[in-house]
Amino acid sequence: MNRQSSLARSVMPAGPRGMVQWRRLSACKRLLSPIAALLIWELVCRLGWIEPQLLPAPTAIAARMVELASAAEFWQHFGITLYRLVVGLVIAVALGVVLGLAAQLSRLGAAVLDALVRLLAPIPKIALYPAFILILGFENTSKIALIVADALFPVLMATWAASRSVDQKLIWSARAAGTSRAACLWKVTLPAIVPTVLAGVRVAGVIACVVVFLAEMIASTDGLGHMLTVAARAYRTLDMFVPLVWICALGLALNSLIGFIQRRVDHSG
Amino acid sequence: MSSAAKPMRWYHNPALAFLAAVLLVGVLWGVLSSVMNFSSFPGPITALKELPTIVLDPNAVWAIAQSVGRMFAGYAWALLFAIPLGLAMGRSQAMYDIFYPLVSLAYPMPKAALMPILMLWFGLGSFSKILVIAMGVSLPVLFHSYQGACRIEKKLVWTAQAMGMGPVKRLFRIVLPAALPEILIGCRVGVVMALIVMVSSEMIARQEGVGNLLFTSMDMAQYATVYAVILILAVMGFVLDWLFERVRRYLTHWAESSGGGSSLH
Repeated sequence: MNRQSSLARSVMPAGPRGMVQWRRLSACKRLLSPIAALLIWELVCRLGWIEPQLLPAPTAIAARMVELASAAEFWQHFGITLYRLVVGLVIAVALGVVLGLAAQLSRLGAAVLDALVRLLAPIPKIALYPAFILILGFENTSKIALIVADALFPVLMATWAASRSVDQKLIWSARAAGTSRAACLWKVTLPAIVPTVLAGVRVAGVIACVVVFLAEMIASTDGLGHMLTVAARAYRTLDMFVPLVWICALGLALNSLIGFIQRRVDHSG
Repeated sequence: MSSAAKPMRWYHNPALAFLAAVLLVGVLWGVLSSVMNFSSFPGPITALKELPTIVLDPNAVWAIAQSVGRMFAGYAWALLFAIPLGLAMGRSQAMYDIFYPLVSLAYPMPKAALMPILMLWFGLGSFSKILVIAMGVSLPVLFHSYQGACRIEKKLVWTAQAMGMGPVKRLFRIVLPAALPEILIGCRVGVVMALIVMVSSEMIARQEGVGNLLFTSMDMAQYATVYAVILILAVMGFVLDWLFERVRRYLTHWAESSGGGSSLH
């Protein structure tokens, strides 16, 4: 159990309840230091202490973002990144939940899956990307495969840890009432573990955002990451910041969306 | 709980189960590669045979050694900054109010993607490569240091305060040791993160190191080398994680054996 929990932590730095928890701040306090940081950044640029070729001002980046957002080409890049992200994340979540639940059915399955996770979780998945490219090609498939490989583990670990800690009496009652073992997973375990699984999905979502961006930077012909690579080759500093801001925004949006669902589930359950 | 009466099977031995997992992955790899029969997808045996060529090639070994050196340099810098900051955030509301919003904004940022910008600022030398690793490692270490500092019993801090210890001395003499178990978990997560950021930033910058070795051998169609390097990185990730877990348990066995809540030792 001890090894289990430390393993779960290793995959989820800010994982489910009981792991790293932040105190909540009021919206006003939360905005204070980012606004101060932005003001200092703007001031430093306006006063000419740093060349705009090295660090463009926040307002310049914002203006450029608006400018690019009016071009159809930008939305194509944005769309393909979002597509890869969503497909990869959905596959990872489905696979993680199914594997995590299925391992509860047999003790051999649980032991083998545990060993597999211990073997594969600490491997840097990004190192597999060249292999995915060689096997699956340069297009979407290799990028989605990489996202799945990276986002799978937080979901799997959360599902597994949660379904092990479901109250046994609930399962015994359902079994005594004539429910099959597989149906128990579906009807008793799954509803009970949803909040914890969502915490895993939340971590997986941020990881997926990071990975899709890196994969697009390393080898791609489209997507937000590719935009950054193109801008870097041409030394267009301003254009380098735009995709970075977008991917951060995407990650934060996904994070708070899943956080919102999490709270809704918590209140209704 | 209820499994006490059930018989022990081979798969309940962690070492045997682990061996089975390694075999399973190897067999799966072999079967897939022989079914697909691509020249770009050799089997595990071919990749293993390629290993001595890499290990005996001074250029490849030098590339790997340089990467690992930068990885630990970045790791050390991250610990130096992130542990005190995390502890301070856990102990002081003002520090928390200032840094928590910034840290949570930086959380979804792909750190390795900053590589082109850092190279623009600090040049192509190893400084930007070390810095990007330090940035990647900082966040998990910061999370766990913060968490560790939050869990400290108030009485300990009060006692130290009553004995006239200043805030800085308290941080190092009271808070740091009490938060050590949690910090070490952060260190373990951080070392895996260091490896990830190292590989991905080298894949992006493509100048030298392991990440570059991967892609140059891919471009030159030396497919067996690609898979052999991946194997080396996989083993590195696993061994580092295992090693840090061993060290962590060795250093904090006092905390785990005495159970939670007793930080009075």
